[in-house]
Order: sequence, then C-alpha cells, then structure tokens
Amino acid sequence: MSQDLDQAPAIRVRHLSHRYGAREVLRDVSFDVGHGEIFGFIGPNGAGKTTTIRVMATLLEPSTGRVEIDGLDVTIDPEKVRRAIGYMPDHAGVYERITVREFLEFFADAYQVPDPNVVEVVLELTDLKKLDGRLVAEMSKGMKQRLQVARILLHDPKVLILDEPASDLDPRARIELRDLLLELRDLGKTIFLSSHILTELSDVCTSIGILERGQLVIAGPIAAIGEELARRGRSDAAAAMAASGAAEAGPGTTRGPELTPGGAAIPAAAQRRLKLRVLGDSRLVVPLLAGGVGVHRVEPAPGGLLTVDYSGDERFVADVVRHLVSQGVGVVGVEPERNELERIFLEVTRGELQ
Amino acid sequence: MSAQTGTASIPPPPPEASLLSRARWALSRLRRDPNPVWMRELRQSARLQRTPVILMTVTVAMALLICSIGGVASVTAEPARVGVGVFHTFFTLAFALVTWLGPAVAASTIAGEKNGRTWEALALTGLPPAQIARGKFLAAYTYIALYLVMLAPVGALPFLFGGVTATEVILAFLCCFVLAALAVAFGLALSSKFQSSAAAIIVTLLITLITSLLLYFGFGVALSFPVHEQWPAVPGGPPVWLPTAWVRADLGLRYLAFLVVLPAVGVLVPAWLFYEVTIANLAGPSDDRSTRLRVWTIISALALAGACAVVQLTTRELEWALAQICFLFTFFAFVIFMVAGEPLGPSRRVRIAWERTGRSRAVRALGPGVVPATTWVLALLLVTFTSCIGVGLLSVKPGTERDVLVLFAGQLLAFLVFLCGLSAFFRARAEGATTPRVLLLVTMLTTGIGP
Repeated sequence: MSQDLDQAPAIRVRHLSHRYGAREVLRDVSFDVGHGEIFGFIGPNGAGKTTTIRVMATLLEPSTGRVEIDGLDVTIDPEKVRRAIGYMPDHAGVYERITVREFLEFFADAYQVPDPNVVEVVLELTDLKKLDGRLVAEMSKGMKQRLQVARILLHDPKVLILDEPASDLDPRARIELRDLLLELRDLGKTIFLSSHILTELSDVCTSIGILERGQLVIAGPIAAIGEELARRGRSDAAAAMAASGAAEAGPGTTRGPELTPGGAAIPAAAQRRLKLRVLGDSRLVVPLLAGGVGVHRVEPAPGGLLTVDYSGDERFVADVVRHLVSQGVGVVGVEPERNELERIFLEVTRGELQ
Repeated sequence: MSAQTGTASIPPPPPEASLLSRARWALSRLRRDPNPVWMRELRQSARLQRTPVILMTVTVAMALLICSIGGVASVTAEPARVGVGVFHTFFTLAFALVTWLGPAVAASTIAGEKNGRTWEALALTGLPPAQIARGKFLAAYTYIALYLVMLAPVGALPFLFGGVTATEVILAFLCCFVLAALAVAFGLALSSKFQSSAAAIIVTLLITLITSLLLYFGFGVALSFPVHEQWPAVPGGPPVWLPTAWVRADLGLRYLAFLVVLPAVGVLVPAWLFYEVTIANLAGPSDDRSTRLRVWTIISALALAGACAVVQLTTRELEWALAQICFLFTFFAFVIFMVAGEPLGPSRRVRIAWERTGRSRAVRALGPGVVPATTWVLALLLVTFTSCIGVGLLSVKPGTERDVLVLFAGQLLAFLVFLCGLSAFFRARAEGATTPRVLLLVTMLTTGIGP
C-alpha cells in the first residue's frame, strides 16, 4: 500500500468533467503531475483552468471523474488533501490591518501547526523577515503575493497549487516570484501553476498541460511535447510531399525528403520566424538564404537585421548559421521570434472564443 | 499551541479521565489556545482608530440624553416616576443599539471574507465551519458587548432616581446581552449567505429594522398589557416589562410558563437555528449541511410542542390553544420553506463518509435528501399537532370549544401537509434551491391572501 502511494504521482486527474447547470466547462480531462515538477496549466480565459484547480483544492466536487493529490482522492478525503496542498487562489485577498507576522501567526494557528518556530522559518524562506512588523495594507502587490506564498508554506504541504500567481505583478515582482518558485521546487515541492502568460511559465515549468474549451489538448514535459509536435509536423509534411510528388511523377514514383541548406530533412509544416543579426549590410546576405529549402521569405532590415520565415526545427536554425558562417558572414545574433511554449500553444490551440 | 498568543498547548486528558479534569482542560484550552479567528479579528479591531471615538461619542450622547430627560422630568414629576421613565428610555435606546448595530456588525464579517477574497484561504486551513462561526460570533459579540459595558454607568442612573430596583437594572442589562447575542447570531446567519458585505449589511439592516420594531411594539408595548392583567405589580404600557416581571410577578406555574419557559424557548430556538444556518452556509456544497439542521428541527419542534403543552395546561383556555396552533403553523411553514432548499440526495463525499464511519440507517435518515427531509417534517407535523390537539382537548371546555379546536387545527395541519408535498414536488423538479423556495413562497402568500 505504501509502495503504491510512493508510486502515485503528486497529482493524478482522470476523466474529470464538470458542469455548471447546462454548461459543460470540463470534458474528460486526464493528466499526471510527477513529484517535484513545476507543471504549467495553460489556457485562455474561460477554458476551465480555475474549475480544475478548484476541484483539486477540494472546493468543488466534480460532476464525474477522479482527482488524487499525493494518492488521496479529493472527493473522499478532502480534509487530508487540504493538509497536503497549499492553495493560492487567483487575486487572493489578505487581512489588511494586521502585520505580516500576525498574518502568518493566524494561519499557523488555523492550520494547527505544532512547531512554534514555523513562522520564523517561513519568514526566512520567503525573505519577508525584514518586513515582519509591517502592516499588510502597506505592502506592495508583489510583497503581498510573496506573503500568500508564505501562507501556503506554513503547514509544509507537498503540493502547491497557484492560480494565476503573477497576473497583477510588475516585472521585478514576477522575476522574484519565479526565483522563489524555483527555490521551492529545489526543496522538493510539486508546483501546479496556472497562467495564460506563457513567458511566465516557460521560465519555470518542467511540464505543461494546455486546456481549451474544457478539454485537455496536450500534456507532458515541454521538450517531449515539442518533439512530438515536430514529429507530427514532419510526418504531415512528408505525407503532403509524397502526395504532391506522386501527382507530378505519376503512379509508383516516390521522392525522398527535402533537405535544408545544411542537409537536414525538412522539419515541421508550421511556419516560424527567425531574427538574425549579421555584420555589415544585411541585404547582401539575402541571396545566400533566399530560395533555400525550407526558407519561405527573407526580409532585410537596417542595422544588419534579417527576418527569415521558415519551416523547420532547431536543426534548421543551426544549419542556417553554419551555412552563413561558411560563406564568410559574421553572425552576431540569432533569436527565434517565439519561445517554445508559445509555439506549442499556438500549434495545439485553435484560438476560438471560450 | 497558539502562535498568536505565544502559549504552548496543553495535551488533552486521557479518555478515562474524569469529567472534572476534562472540564478543566477545556477551560485552560479556552484561556491558552483561544479561537484563532476571534484572536485575529480582535487584533484587526484594535487597529481600527475610529472605534474608541465612536464608543466615546455614543456614551457621552447617551449620558447627556438620559441626564437631560431626568433633569427636565424631575422638575414636575416625583423621582420614582422619573426613574421608571429614564429606565425605559435608556433600555429602549440600548435595545435599538443592540438590535441594529449587532446584526450590522456581524453581517459584514463572513461576507467581508468572501468580498475580500480571503474566505477560500481560511476555509482550506482545515478549521471546521463551526469554529469559524464561533470565532466570528465572538468577535462581533465582543464589539457589541463593549458598547453595553461602556453604557453600563449611564444605565445605572435610573437606579439613583428610584422607582426601579438594582436587580431590575441588572436583569435589563442581562436581557440586552442576550438580545445582542441573538442579534449577532442573526447577522452572522445572513452574512454567511452573501458574497458581498454591502449587500449583506443592507439586507440585514432592512430585516432587522422591521423585526426590531415588531418586537418592540408587539412583545414590548402590546404584551405588557396582558402581563399587567396577569400580574398587576407589573405596569402596563412601558415596553421593558420582562425584568420588572421577573422581580415583581408572583411565583407559580404561570410564572414558570410565561416568564421562564417561553422566553427561554424563544431565545434558544432561534439562536440555535442561526448558529446551524451559519455552519451550513460555511460548509462546502458537497458537505453534509443537512444533519445538524435536521436535529435542530426535530428538537425545536418537540421543545415548542412541550412549551405549548405547559402553557395550555397552565391557562386551560381555547384562545391560548388556538394561538399555540397558529404558532406551530408558522414554525412548520418556515421549516417547509427551509426544506425546499434541501439537496436532492447525499453527495458522493457524504455517502463515502457515512460508509467509512459506519453510520446507522437512522443517522443517515437525518442527512441530506428531499425524501428523508419531507418524511421527517411530516412525522413531526403529526406528532406536534396531535399532542397540541390532545392537550387542548383535555384542557378546554367540552362541546363547541373542542369542535372549534379540532376543526381549526385539522385545517391548518392539512394545509401544512399539502405544502410539504408541494415543496418536495417543486424541489425534485428544480436545479437549485431558489426556484422551489420562490414558488413555495408565492403559493403561501397567495393562499394566505385568498382565503
């Protein structure tokens, strides 16, 4: 039994569905989050993220399906689940007319934490020690959010569930929160993080789940999802090329995969954009790339900048750089226009109104 | 251990410990490990700078008013009459203070947590809803009690004029404290239902204003005349008659029935209801919100039937028997209205909890569900009405009076049985609790006006 519990993922969601009256907000959502992971739960507003989180936090009983936190069913063992999770709701409020220390002391009492030093430890961990005598009302939003994180750490939960934790924060506070989350992951916490700000998630998440219109579109480690999408793209492209080649050459003729300037097979069907910065006049570089396999468009700009629209994966980018260097071009900057998470999100979602 | 008070917790006594040691442990826990919600609320209130200013203003204004009334009246009237007048003026104002301020203060507490988006954090700490409700109650009650304590020296002024005894003044203050508790509990029960503190305060004040005026003129002024008829030493007309009656009325069965049993039932039944409603509203929608309310319904119905029997056996008059039937009718109409919001059945969480704890079929029958709820109400209707009719038949004169009693009680009982079935019918066909309750209310009002 204990072995089963050890093997159980930190969060297990199986066939989760929920309705509000006649409106179905979640449909057959299933995913796992391993221990020690930072899982980013992504989706547009109204996709069902908060409903999923409220079910996980025992605040809502699902219409159907099962959710387990650290092996405990949220429907059957809500009290035990509450001891195992720290939940920070979206736009969570604070008690304004008490000090930081008093705020944490209250929640330590409410959680019935037996350790008398817990408030000190949490103040140290979250870097709030220097503010412990300050009234909560006088704190910045970023500090209040930090205080919320401190609150959910008091009872030492295994799983932290954060709903849009950085939605109202300025860039500095976001960076500080990100660093704090990474520190917590190093302490062995599993963090479930929902957001629709992809850059916020891409810096910290090890795995993601994308929810659209109440359905889970994809879930898993970011790298694995990226590879899977690229694989799917390649097979789609190969199928498309095979079909067009067959049409040109007639029945029984096949054609091998197209190669990039560096010789790699043409990758994903999705079009991407790459920004390059080269030494000298970028217009002189255009003929070296234009018309190359996988290259759709090359656009020079002042300051040695070049924008390249292409189809392919990271190997394509490496090939382009290698090719330019071999032709004597000084490449001083390479920047994919979107990060991996944004690309995945755009590829797997349809962007319809939720 | 309480981080807020900085005291270590005392380990609970072993299961075989005596009742006395358990009571000692409970008392020391109360002192060293108080309700965390109450402690936090007190800390917050202590930082509210306007509280001492308001307290001082109210006390000074009250002192000036009472002294002015006393000063002006004592020019023409004898001191004893002035003392009585000042006594009734002061406690009328104190009544207004506790019945308006109490619910308003309480109404903003729980709704304020939801409004301020702190409720979910508090609910997920694992604090039971009952403990949160008690903490909120204690916080609001402390605030109101502070006003009463501040006003105590002013309240003692009538005693200096004469006409009232010190015991009457003390008992009147006791009534104020009890009313304050009831008012705060009422405000909390309403507050627990609302998401916005502004809406909670407005609705609470509207209801409180009407109810307090009805109470003041109905139970205060109007009821003082029959009390005066019963006990001539108690003056008829002045509203604050209960403390005077406790001191001056002759001891006997009627004293026990009207001045002890009825006030006790009249306070305990609604206070318990407000407490249970608050807890039920604080619990999650999948939790068992019904069992405690069902226990309240059963015990209250039986207690009311018992109180009615005591009063009837004391008075032995048809008018009292009919009044009791009317009172039971009102009680059950309210209970049926409550049952109209009952869940269709127990949630999966409740069913699993029952199985785990091995709850018996009898205990499960008290739980959520339209069918058990309706069955209980029907059973209680039959038991209480039968007992009321039975006691009435034994005590009223044979002949016409008995016929009137049976026909009157029978008609109301039949209507309540119809309402009960209708409520279950509405609930079984609706998604939530609001529609059946609205439909039931419309039905009750229509049938109330029609005949």
